[in-house]
Amino acid sequence: MPRPPGRRDRPDRPDRPEHRGLLRRLGPAFWLAAGWLALVVAVAAAADLLPLPRYDETLAGPPRSGPSAEHPFGTDALGRDLLSRVAHGARVSLGVGVGAVLLGLAAGAPLGVLAGYRRRRTDAVIMGANDVALAFPAMVFALAVVAFAGASLVNVLAVLGVLSVPAWIRLVRGTTLVFAEREFVTAARALGARDRSVLWREIAPNVALPAASYAFVGMAVTIVAEGGLAFLGLSVQAPTPTWGGLINEGRPVMETAPHAVLLPSLVMFLTVLSANLVGDRLRALTDVRQSGLEPVRRRPAVPLPAPGQVHRIEEGALLQVAGLRTHLPTPRGTVRAVDGVSFTVRRGRTLAIVGESGSGKSMLIRSVLGLVPGPGALRGGRVYLDGRDLTGLSPERMRRVLGTRFGAVFQDPMTALNPVRRIGVQLAEPLRVHLGLGAKAARARGTELLASVGVPEPARVMRRYPHQLSGGMRQRVTIAMALSCGPDVLFADEPTTALDVTVQDQVLRLIRRQREERRMAVVLVSHDLAVVAEWADEVVVMYAGKVVERGPTAALFERTRMPYTEALLAAVPKLTDPAHHPLRLIAGRPPDLADPPAGCSFHPRCPYARERCAVEEPPLLPAETPGHLYACWYPRDTGARAPADTGSGTGTDSDGRGLDGPCGPGRPAAAGRPGDLSGPNDLSDLDEGADSRGR
Amino acid sequence: MTAVFRAVRLLVVLLVVTFLSYALLSLLPGDPVGQILGGAATPEAHERLRRELGLDDPLLVRYGSWLGGLLTGDFGTSYITGVPVLESLADRLPVTLELLAAAQLVALGVAVPAAVAAARRPGGPLDHALTAICFGLLSTPVFVLGVLLILVFAIKLKLLPATGWTPISLDLGWNLTSVLLPAVTIALPETAVYSRLLRTDLIATLQEDHITLARARGLSPRRILWRHALRPSAVSLVTAVGLNLGAMIGGAVIVETLFGLPGVGRFVVDSIFARDYLAVQGGVVLISVGYVLVNFAVDLAYAAVDPRIRRA
Ligand code: SF4
Repeated sequence: MPRPPGRRDRPDRPDRPEHRGLLRRLGPAFWLAAGWLALVVAVAAAADLLPLPRYDETLAGPPRSGPSAEHPFGTDALGRDLLSRVAHGARVSLGVGVGAVLLGLAAGAPLGVLAGYRRRRTDAVIMGANDVALAFPAMVFALAVVAFAGASLVNVLAVLGVLSVPAWIRLVRGTTLVFAEREFVTAARALGARDRSVLWREIAPNVALPAASYAFVGMAVTIVAEGGLAFLGLSVQAPTPTWGGLINEGRPVMETAPHAVLLPSLVMFLTVLSANLVGDRLRALTDVRQSGLEPVRRRPAVPLPAPGQVHRIEEGALLQVAGLRTHLPTPRGTVRAVDGVSFTVRRGRTLAIVGESGSGKSMLIRSVLGLVPGPGALRGGRVYLDGRDLTGLSPERMRRVLGTRFGAVFQDPMTALNPVRRIGVQLAEPLRVHLGLGAKAARARGTELLASVGVPEPARVMRRYPHQLSGGMRQRVTIAMALSCGPDVLFADEPTTALDVTVQDQVLRLIRRQREERRMAVVLVSHDLAVVAEWADEVVVMYAGKVVERGPTAALFERTRMPYTEALLAAVPKLTDPAHHPLRLIAGRPPDLADPPAGCSFHPRCPYARERCAVEEPPLLPAETPGHLYACWYPRDTGARAPADTGSGTGTDSDGRGLDGPCGPGRPAAAGRPGDLSGPNDLSDLDEGADSRGR
Repeated sequence: MTAVFRAVRLLVVLLVVTFLSYALLSLLPGDPVGQILGGAATPEAHERLRRELGLDDPLLVRYGSWLGGLLTGDFGTSYITGVPVLESLADRLPVTLELLAAAQLVALGVAVPAAVAAARRPGGPLDHALTAICFGLLSTPVFVLGVLLILVFAIKLKLLPATGWTPISLDLGWNLTSVLLPAVTIALPETAVYSRLLRTDLIATLQEDHITLARARGLSPRRILWRHALRPSAVSLVTAVGLNLGAMIGGAVIVETLFGLPGVGRFVVDSIFARDYLAVQGGVVLISVGYVLVNFAVDLAYAAVDPRIRRA
């Protein structure tokens, strides 16, 4: 069955909003708010027709009387019906609100589109003028202008409308800029479409939703501003009631008739709140559309299997991880980032964890350290340090362990240091917190540490900010910090990936030297098998949050069992490759950890997969070298694997996922299957690699 | 941006702001001459006075001489009260400054701990409650808030005075009680703005590697939030403090009137009702120029918050 050719690869063209599910996504608060606004509009429009006393009829009821059946909002100091006055006041508030929005839109939108679309000079001029306009305190200006030009409906509306223009320009320009750079617009422009038609067809529909959202927010702002003017007596003049004016009138009788102030205030608050809410929900809609996220579907995270299992502590193990799991709830479902991982490290040795990005390596480190991100993340399994279970420790005691026995270095030295604190302060902090050193002693120790990791002029570097150091220097600083309290285990998560090749070697050498000097264990996360082969004593291969093969480095590399490890090895660029040989990649994408494939999670990409692989998950089995384990039904070099049947492509279809099903990220249904070359990933590389290994 | 460029831009903005304040208010209908002379004056008397006041000169010339006056501290003398405008403004400025400073203090004093608490567990009950409260506060007009606070704290609980002002020079304690309610009134909506901004930035900062590493170093959440995350998250907050000054000044005009504080805002409103042109112009210019200068200072303050912005 042929895939619809490249359907997903075309640039998103979100010019026609999808209406399905859109209304539902707005939520009940939106509808309540919209309902209230509709009610206020209707009452304002029909204020004269409602069976109410006239707004200026004095002694329509006893003065200052509270709400009653006859006068639902009560009466004011002159005995006028407050409901009628509020209803008529709505005309002014809404009239000014809607009018000013229309005015701001009419003037601001074209200018904003122009600035965002033309850019360069036009943009500079318009935005320059805009900046100056925004430099005015708007309210004071509105006051002065209304005062001098006369307080009438038209003047108030005009002033507030004009004052709203800069905000409109800014909003529309920003949105236009975003879309003017999208592929479908640049494509249309490149094809010679006239500017006018590009603007109308490609840009206008996309600006419409943010503009609609801002129209409501702008209306709320205007209603508040008009209310302020009216409160000062500078909006539409008596006898016409205004909301701000009503609240001002009610003030003197606040003590005896609080309803005269409270009820207009409440109506005004609800109206402004509703307009803000409607605007806010509409804006949230644009966010969803731009990020392409599916509607939020919160599935409760499955509780992890209860701990309580007692693990055999391996002889001589410094750190033992047993059945570690970390599940993260996301809008797409529970992501099984770490799914039952076990390994052991001894003192003075280096354990490497390898896998593609997205295989859960980094999350594994964070999980061992107890640093699972976000609310709702679940962690299961055990972590033993010197035979003591860390998972049950109180947060304080765990922090003590983290501070004094573990050290961690992350991939990117650019982000690993706090940008606004000096190196010295950062380096001294753990020494002061965990070892109780004084300020002076901590600084001295910090300087020594920097010297010991090969930082030249350590005393000067202590006074520097991170951005003043090179990447290699920063990584040395983070290593110094990780080593500061004399840890027993150093976790290094891709410590050299972000560094220059020449610096990489130095950093790895540094880590090894420190390991030997301090008799530490090192857990080294890497996707670079060349690094692993050189520096690690043992290797754990991860795929889809699980361990698929592990063992002593030599055995694992020389007698590889698991096809994924094999593919990783084949992906290492060789010195014998011609200079411009395309990088060997593993075909297909890593699986979606929210929805991992059944059976062996590698089966959609595995060239040797058979029916059984898609159904049954292979357990970790021992290979002949002690300590070497693998999870595969048809491992390499054992005879269990028959010549791969590349033609039929059975196996993968049996999981029942049709090709025309939803093709979300991480569901590379057919892409990785041998023989299917229509997908984006050409498999010839992998096949070739496998062939050359004497299959 | 070089210092020279910034200075030039500041100068241009100041010129434009003063010109617009002058031009808009001069071009609007309403004639000071008629007011000074009263209804009974002859057309000749009108003419003479207009010439004396220089009202027949071209706009730019009038602006020039007015600006020259401003620079030498001459804001003119009110046609109505006969008091130099500068003197009246100087009398009232301390009140407004104290009110704004107190409001900023209250806003930041509430917003920062609230944001830190909310960011600790995003999506938690505290965070949700804070979001709802902020949304409500942002939808409450300042005069509604002021009236409600008076109703509760002055009328029902009788804790604080509803109106009136005691200068610091008279009695510090009374001064503080008289500034408290107005300051809180202006501060509450700003608190909402600040705490939302800071919360968002804090949550973003807390995702960063250096925070995870700080946790990996066994530092306590409190230390991480306050010492590691707060400062790198504060840049937008600093901007907002400057930008929102405009909103605060707008609020001050209303609040000073509502609480009967003798500040610049109330002076402008009173002058508007008195049709005191020069006084209104002087007040508007003072406020606008102050606003522009504060935003300029905020630009410079970034560097103090974030050393990355410091250019060698
Ligand atoms: S179990 Fe099957 S699908 Fe999984 S790696 Fe082995 S051969 Fe491939």
